[in-house]
Formats: sequence, structure tokens, C-alpha cells
Amino acid sequence: MPDATTLMLRSPLTEPIEADGITADRVAGLSEIEVARLPVWCGRQRLPLGDLFAVRGGRSRQIRITGDVRHVAGIGTGMTSGDIVIDGHVGANLGAGMTGGRIEVLGSAGDSAGQAMAGGVLIVRGSAGNRVGAGAPGSSRGMSGGEIVIEGSVGADAGARMRRGLLFIGGDAGDTIARAIIAGTVIVLGQIGPQPALGSKRGTLVAVGGVNIPVTYRYACTYEPPHVRVALVYVRRRFNLTIPPEVVGGRYRRYCGDAGTVGKGEILAWTSA
Amino acid sequence: MEHRGVLIEDTFAEAFPMRAARLIITAANERWAHQAATTLTGFATSVIACKCEAAIERRLTPGETPDERPGVSVLLFAMDTEGLGKRLVERIGQAVLTCPTTSCFDGLPDADRRIQAGRALRVFGDGFQGSKVVGGERYWRIPVMDGEFLVQESFGAVKGIGGGNFIILGTDLRATLAAAEAAVDAIANVSGVILPFPGGIARSGSKVGSRRYKSVPATTNDAFCPTLRPLTTSSLPADADSVLEIVLDGLDEASIRRAMRVGVDAACRPGVRAITAGNFGGKLGPHHFHLHAIMSDSDVAEAPRA
Repeated sequence: MPDATTLMLRSPLTEPIEADGITADRVAGLSEIEVARLPVWCGRQRLPLGDLFAVRGGRSRQIRITGDVRHVAGIGTGMTSGDIVIDGHVGANLGAGMTGGRIEVLGSAGDSAGQAMAGGVLIVRGSAGNRVGAGAPGSSRGMSGGEIVIEGSVGADAGARMRRGLLFIGGDAGDTIARAIIAGTVIVLGQIGPQPALGSKRGTLVAVGGVNIPVTYRYACTYEPPHVRVALVYVRRRFNLTIPPEVVGGRYRRYCGDAGTVGKGEILAWTSA
Repeated sequence: MEHRGVLIEDTFAEAFPMRAARLIITAANERWAHQAATTLTGFATSVIACKCEAAIERRLTPGETPDERPGVSVLLFAMDTEGLGKRLVERIGQAVLTCPTTSCFDGLPDADRRIQAGRALRVFGDGFQGSKVVGGERYWRIPVMDGEFLVQESFGAVKGIGGGNFIILGTDLRATLAAAEAAVDAIANVSGVILPFPGGIARSGSKVGSRRYKSVPATTNDAFCPTLRPLTTSSLPADADSVLEIVLDGLDEASIRRAMRVGVDAACRPGVRAITAGNFGGKLGPHHFHLHAIMSDSDVAEAPRA
């Protein structure tokens, strides 16, 4: 397999671009010219990818995108395998519905990163916008598998209606994180905004940096949850992150809820005591 | 051949196929990890009566375990996959689940054949259990009185080998025991191998069947019992008055060969008359470990620890 196919932004973008055809598995079988002919959308106008990006390489399962592509949405949509590295910021809907492969963003990502994701790995070394790992508008389920790692902070509604998978947030999280989650694990090292895990059926919200527990959650005990330890060790080793040992091996206050549902969910709030 | 003045007999150890699993047991500290492993591997010396053979493979540092706690690696062998599964459920359920602060993980993640031992044990949670998927592996959380017991859903099962052995013939019990202990200590540094008998040493070497009792599957190896020298067809040299056996189970032939090499080498001490091995003329199993070949093959000694 040759080196990565590189897409270098020709000039700064000022208008939103829809580029859901840029996936590693799709590009893998295409030559440099064929990659340059892939369609992207600027409003109602269809453009060849090569008009916006200088394409180098081809027939590779790796894509490297350089430049500030925060106006480009949908990169990695539905991807099943391969790797994408974005050397800068990226726009909305990154990796939406992806089922495999790996996307790494060295900058920050826009809204709805990992929307309805079902597998694979999505890593954002900066921050991300609203609805990370949540469902598509109107859908009943958010992410149903895979792993999302955001080293920075995220906006509101992260992990909403999540069904399965792991969502790790190294910074703060906005309002209504883990809203109505059905299962899966959300870990937040920073502060969590209002109304966390409301309406959750099952699933786990691990809150390290502070959280206001909703009244519909009931305190159970303070203990060392072994699965949190395994998850944090895994994330630290796999993604080369810094997580304090007192968090990995710490004690957590367990709250069961949401009492408005089947109530088999939990918020695990780290305590330094 | 002679090795440091000890006769190495021109014979072979005969071993047979088994199925093996590796468990990683962790706990809040070394004491409880070791306690769980010791309890799990208790009464697991011989598959004939114990239905499995098991022992501690080695201790693990926190950096080697999935939850960065002190741990112990255990190998467990049974005659088939079905039996291995039953023993895993029984022994994890009774020896690890019950032990304070422990968690239990699979140590053979690359094995294609999987045994759903954790899945079977989850019902102890009586509906309060839950599961988590981390890194593509499912773990069951079973609520217990000190918090939660975490057990991996499936454990790998691979082909293994049981019955590797060598026999130390010494001039007296003290010298023979010292040689056997030295062999055990040396083999402790070889991964992929366990010594299932007490402290790694068996004094009751056996032969197949009985000369008197038809229903007994194994009886004393009278040919190596010094007290029976004038009463049976003895295999003992004139000045060998004590015999101890090292029995080895391993994940593959290379591991057993390596362990036999370092074990025999360590056992060649003053007071040891000869080293031999037990076999049944090739009728017991397909794995033959020839002492001369093992002791003269430099590749065996040079193989690195896995």
C-alpha cells in the first residue's frame, strides 16, 4: 500500500463545503486523478475535489488533509475502514455514521462529530462542538459503537441517546451531556454543565471534574469501580493521554438513575476524599 | 551424556495434547491477587483426579495488567475445550469472584476459540449485573459486597501440552530435594509453562494402571521407589536412594523444551546421580521431549522469555 493520499487546501475557504465523499475506504481504490474528480458540494454547486485541494498520491487507505477545513463538513461520513488524519481544524459531521477505521484531527472539530457512529475510532486533539456522538436529528439513537476521544472540551448534548460505545472528553462538557442514553460510557475529565444524563435508561456518565447531580438520581455508595479503571487505563494507553493516577485508581460516588426511566443508569462522580 | 558430572539418560519425556487457558487475576495488592490465584490453582495437580491442571505462571507488575493493579498470571489445562470451560466457570466463580478486590481478565486475547466463562458467571448478579465494552472486549460487572467483581466475558482456549517431565535421581532426599527446588526456581523464569504439582515437585510418580487393582487408573511408579528395589524391577542405579519428578504443562513444545533445559541444568548439582524422564514407549502422546536433544541444542537455551 502506497503512502497516504494527501489533500492540501489550495486557498482558504469562505463558504461551507459538503464533502461526505471523502472517506479512506472509498479513496483506497482510486487513482490521484479519480480522487481529484470526487464531487463536493458548495451550496447547490457541485465541484470536483481537485478544485479545492491539491491531490497527491492515490490508491491508499490513508488520507492526510492539510489546511484549515473548518468549513468542510461530512469528512469520513459512513467510513468503514482506513485512516484519515486532518492536520488542522475541521467542520461539522466529521465521521458521521462511520462503522470502522480511524479519524484523527490535530485541531478542533465542529458540531455533530461522530454523529450516529457505529464503529471505528474518532480522535480530536482539540475541542469539538455540540452533539458529539449524538444521534442524527429526529433519530432515536446516538452512537451505537466505536470510540470517540476529544482531548479538549465539547459543547452541548454530547452523547445524546447513545446506545453503545465509549465517549471520552478530556476537557469540559456543555449542557445535557449523555441525555437519554440507553447504554455505553461517557467519561468527562473536566466540568460538566447543567442537566447531565437526564432521562438515561442505562449507561454510565463518569464525572471527574465536577457535576451537579440531578434530583432524579439516588446516591448508592462511594467505591472504586473496576470498569472505570479498566476504561481509563485503556484510553490512556491506546491514545497516549495523560490521566492523573488518582483519577484512574480513585473513589467515585455512585448515583443511580434516572428515576424517571428504568433507572439502571449511573453517574460516577470522582471524589478526592 | 553427562552434564556437569550428572548422567543424562538417553530417553524422552512423553507428553499429550491438552487445552489451555491463561487468566490474569488482579487485586488491590499483591497479597490478594496471589491469594485468589493460589485458591484457583488449588487441587489442580493432575487431570486424572482433579479434572484439570493449573498453577501460577508468574506475577505481573501493574504495568502488565489491564487495570494497572498487581496481578498474577495463571495457566489452566484440561483434556478438551468443554472440560476447560467447566473448570474455568467453577474455579473463577469459587476462587476469584469470592476473593476480595479481585478482577479477572483473559490472558490469551489472540486465541480464536473462546470460552464464555464470564458470560456464564454473570447470572450471579441476579439481574443487577451489567456489562461494559472497552477496547472491543466485553466485561461483566457483578455486584458483590465489597463493590463489583469485573470479569471478562470470554477467555481464549488454545492447544496446550501436558505431561512434560524429568526425573531427578539423587543419592539422598536432601540432595534430591535441593536439586528439584533449584529446577523449580529456574523454570519460574520461563513463560508459557507451569509446574502443577505442589511447589512444582511430584514425589509420587505414577505408572498407568495397577498390577493388583483393576479399577485404579494410576498407581505408584514402583520401578523408581527406592524402598522397593529388591521387590520389583527397579530402574534405579545402585546409589540412588531418592527420586523426585518435575512435571510440566506448557502452551507449546518450545516452552516446555526451554523449561526442561533450564530445569535439568539447574538440577545437575552435587548429590544428583542421574536425570531421566518418564514415557510409555510412545503410546501415551505425540509430544516427545528427548533429554539429549534438549540438553545439546543451544537454540533451546538461547530462546528469550516471551
